[in-house]
Amino acid sequence: MPEIEFNEEEVLIRASEGDRDAFGLLYGRYIDRIFNYVYYRTGNLHDAEDLTARVFQRAMNHIQNYTDRGVPFSAWLYRIAHNLVANWHRDRSRRQEIPINDVPVLPSKGDHPERNLVRSQEQDALLRLIRRLPAERQNLLILKFVENMSNAEIGAIMGRSEGAVKSLYHRTLLALRDQLGDQNINLDSE
Amino acid sequence: MLSDDQINALEAQLAGTLRPVTPPVDVVQRLRERIRFPQPEEIVSRLRDWQRMFFVLGGVMSGMMVLITIARALYYLVGRKHM
Repeated sequence: MPEIEFNEEEVLIRASEGDRDAFGLLYGRYIDRIFNYVYYRTGNLHDAEDLTARVFQRAMNHIQNYTDRGVPFSAWLYRIAHNLVANWHRDRSRRQEIPINDVPVLPSKGDHPERNLVRSQEQDALLRLIRRLPAERQNLLILKFVENMSNAEIGAIMGRSEGAVKSLYHRTLLALRDQLGDQNINLDSE
Repeated sequence: MLSDDQINALEAQLAGTLRPVTPPVDVVQRLRERIRFPQPEEIVSRLRDWQRMFFVLGGVMSGMMVLITIARALYYLVGRKHM
């Protein structure tokens, strides 16, 4: 569905005044991004759907509290998503540990459909390693690679400076390289 | 330390693994119904109607102001002649 052009500032004001139509436009703009984030953090479609709905319900209920103090609306939404995913992980660990190896493969944007069915063993292994990283490192990788955000944009969402994000990214790559090495996974396999 | 080659290889792997996904259409639809949002096209048409109503109302008000001004001017001119 083509994205509808609108002035986000005006729409945000109307949405904060309780205009559901205005909030619907924001929903249309951010649904894919929030779904992607939640999907990669949870690893399953059902919970991604449920949590994405809760992110937007919470945002709609509290949008009057959102004020633009240099933090973009997207950052505010990602923070809600981050908190809900963190709660979800906490509740889940209290109940029981469910294996997350069987991650459904959803169609990627701009890819040939058949290519989506082929996920190499290295990629599966890498995805499992990513899910074992601390939450903030997972966030960083998802925002960088799935959302294609710059370090400055990631910093705005994570509440860190651009330099701190860069440093965290480097440490994350180091950790991943070591863990890939431990599992004898060749980086040049693609 | 990571060499440039290692960084490039790791980033290529990450880019291949963490690809943006498209939420299934039924999921987006279910979410929209769950939050009870109208479809974007419906929202846009409502906004267009609202804008049209605003222009019509503005036009009617302006027209009324012009008529009132003319009526007052005529009343003033006719009134002066009778004095």
